Amino acid sequence: MDIIRVQDRAIEMGEALEAIQDPAVGGQALFLGTVRNHFEGRPSWGLFYEAYQELAEAEMAAIAAELKAEFGVSHVVMVHRVGELALGESAVLVAVSSAHREEALKACQAGIDRIKARVPIWKKERWADGATDWHDDPDASSGETPL
Amino acid sequence: MRDITVLFFSYAADRMNGRSRRYAVADGTTVETLFNEKLAPVLGDAIGQFRFSVNAAWADPSRVLADGDEVAVIPPVSGG
Repeated sequence: MDIIRVQDRAIEMGEALEAIQDPAVGGQALFLGTVRNHFEGRPSWGLFYEAYQELAEAEMAAIAAELKAEFGVSHVVMVHRVGELALGESAVLVAVSSAHREEALKACQAGIDRIKARVPIWKKERWADGATDWHDDPDASSGETPL
Repeated sequence: MRDITVLFFSYAADRMNGRSRRYAVADGTTVETLFNEKLAPVLGDAIGQFRFSVNAAWADPSRVLADGDEVAVIPPVSGG
């Protein structure tokens, strides 16, 4: 089965792996995007994510349909978390299963790449120095620590 | 006149000082006209910086708005 969801609770890998089980598949690929402690060399304490949930889930469903059409994968799970995330927490999960490994690996990579490029979700960096910045904000503060 | 709700996200919401606003616009108003007349002066960015949706479906800036439409201003996405 497929799961396409934007949620504010923790992402559960077990749910995703269970969803993509199928006796007809021989390859399963799972990608987890996690919150790291730096961005472009600047120390970070965590991330805040927000989404336009209705459109985000519609776009993720469109991407899932593309993965099935282009790579022939059988099942697709895409879950993206919103809200405050601490270092090390999972922000996004993509899991796919298919008859063979090559299609599963390619589809998993395409899935996360397309989520990052197209789905209306935004992240705000919580810098270790106390400042916050939305990614891609033209007015975002520079990487220099304020005096 | 048409009553339009506009949703803002990310830094656009910060600049608008809110996540949604309502506007009354003239018949025939497009997303682009709404943006240029009501939003650009506050957002301070050109229309090319954003994508748009109407009623939670992607929409071209040339889309003519209908009464009750919900427009979203979509800054560059940064999920993942």
